Amino acid sequence: MTEHAPVGALKARALEALVELGGVVTEANDMTRVTVPKHAVVDALRACRTAGLEMLTDIFGIDYLTYPGHRGKRFAVVYNVHCLHGADRLFVRVELNDGESVPSVTGVWRGADFLERETFDMLGIEFEGHPNLRKLLTPEDLEGHPHRKDFPLGETPTLFNDGRFLDPAAFRAGLTGKNPGLTGWKGGARHGVTSEQGSLPDEGGARG
Amino acid sequence: MSAAKPVNPAPPAEAELPGSFSTRFMRINVGPQHPSTHGVLRLVVDLDGEQIVSLKPQVGYLHTGFEKTMENRTYQQGVTYSNRMDYLHGFAHDLAYVLSVEKLLDARVPVRAQRVRVILNELNRLASHLVFFGTTMLDMGALTPYFYCMREREGLMDIFEAVSGVRMNYGYFRVGGLYQDVPEHFEPMVRKWLEAFPRYLDEYFNLFIGNSILMARTQGVAVVTREMAIDYALTGPSARASGLALDFRKSAPYSGYEDYVFDVRTHEDGDIYARILVRYEEMIESCRIVSQALDMLEPGPVKDPDRRISLPPRHELENSMEAVIFHFKLVTEGLHPPKGEVYVPTESARGELGYYIISDGGSMPYRVKVKAPSLANLQSLEPSSIGGLFADMVINIASFDPVLGDVDK
Repeated sequence: MTEHAPVGALKARALEALVELGGVVTEANDMTRVTVPKHAVVDALRACRTAGLEMLTDIFGIDYLTYPGHRGKRFAVVYNVHCLHGADRLFVRVELNDGESVPSVTGVWRGADFLERETFDMLGIEFEGHPNLRKLLTPEDLEGHPHRKDFPLGETPTLFNDGRFLDPAAFRAGLTGKNPGLTGWKGGARHGVTSEQGSLPDEGGARG
Repeated sequence: MSAAKPVNPAPPAEAELPGSFSTRFMRINVGPQHPSTHGVLRLVVDLDGEQIVSLKPQVGYLHTGFEKTMENRTYQQGVTYSNRMDYLHGFAHDLAYVLSVEKLLDARVPVRAQRVRVILNELNRLASHLVFFGTTMLDMGALTPYFYCMREREGLMDIFEAVSGVRMNYGYFRVGGLYQDVPEHFEPMVRKWLEAFPRYLDEYFNLFIGNSILMARTQGVAVVTREMAIDYALTGPSARASGLALDFRKSAPYSGYEDYVFDVRTHEDGDIYARILVRYEEMIESCRIVSQALDMLEPGPVKDPDRRISLPPRHELENSMEAVIFHFKLVTEGLHPPKGEVYVPTESARGELGYYIISDGGSMPYRVKVKAPSLANLQSLEPSSIGGLFADMVINIASFDPVLGDVDK
């Protein structure tokens, strides 16, 4: 167990495979990031695993909507893979437009399950072929995806000195023209509300 | 140790899972408000008699949006939130956060600050493992160890209180160093605790870890094989119990961990007993690190002297106009790291912990993503519990040592 390839060897091997699949490599802050085309995501990550970066430790999304000077697609999904010893690490990225989905890597790592669900929950990025793509962290009746940069902040109902009461859900509905839903401050009102994703399959765990 | 590798019994066929009305299986809802789930974890379990057929962890009851909150606060304010995620090993979260920001800023942390960080981080790891021991034994029905462990932990809490002023949610590590130097009685306090602790560790071993009742209860139960650990991205002590020699203190040293002599202890069995044993041995290693760091602790500054990173000392404000300007800029605007993305992996008491921070050049991070170990570790609960007994599942949860604040963020 103590024997392992020299530091950097596994990463170099994985990089070679990724470049062949159309990956673009950037280095900064001691991190290596590889942007791969969307259709090659599963192949790229499988290549990483074969090359020796055997653990998928994290998947997350980035919303570049308000990033200054950003050109290109709005979202990026980042796969954080490292070798069993922990010294070699790669960040595989795929860039996506709003509404685009990305192939699921649950076939490569079963542990991608929760990580992809979290990304779906936080940014609304769908993973094709995920066996159970439901929200992970937020309540079922929460509309929207909190880590999108256009998700509103300040969901606390406020009573002003002049007696004016501000219900954030209603306030937001006034701005966007959307139905405020029943996501206001009354806990009891949440019953029977389905999220925008429609009715959810009974996986033995739908909260309610 | 048993000679043959124990394997979990095979679960019943998929076709027999409950769908229509059936009396063969019983669905049990465990948690979220139950002490044995170590927080607000909910599990939906299907049982065939006593045997677990399926298990679905439901998380999110403690989702607080720490990441989003941190994106709307300045870099210095981040340490207020980071340690609240893992309330048992808060210093690890503080350390992971400040390391990432320091890398963005290219800050030079003084040696003394690094040593103190390592000492506190390791002591906090010990405190976290002590809670692990106490609660795991409690789940098995042994009440006494909990009080033993809490007694020793109390000494550590006193140290943390002396240093940071609070027993939890420390916020003592700051970007560029420490909030202030440790008090004078810090060193004797730690030494005194370190001197007494090995005796207690022996006591633990004799009383419960080497206890044949515990062995019979946990050996060969809820096995996580090496392949499973890789597939489910298990990290930390739980992964080391499955034979993975994965420790970021060793393989990607930070904060001067390369200066200390310590071993990465692993076990091959992957059962609950191995997970307990690995943590026990890790406590011995942590003690080694702390005593080495104490020996190397020398007087010196504890903050990066760069005035764009840390506040000037109070006495300079009285006679230096420049100091006042820097102070004003730091307090009103905050830090301005250059554009870029950064990730520094660290080893918390639960596993790999890192903050992926994206800077847009402003004083607030554009995106913060916490790679918290507990979420990924929790996934191994399902495959290791299926086919086992319901009563074993309860100690299996404890053996992964999840902190739900760390899971839900």
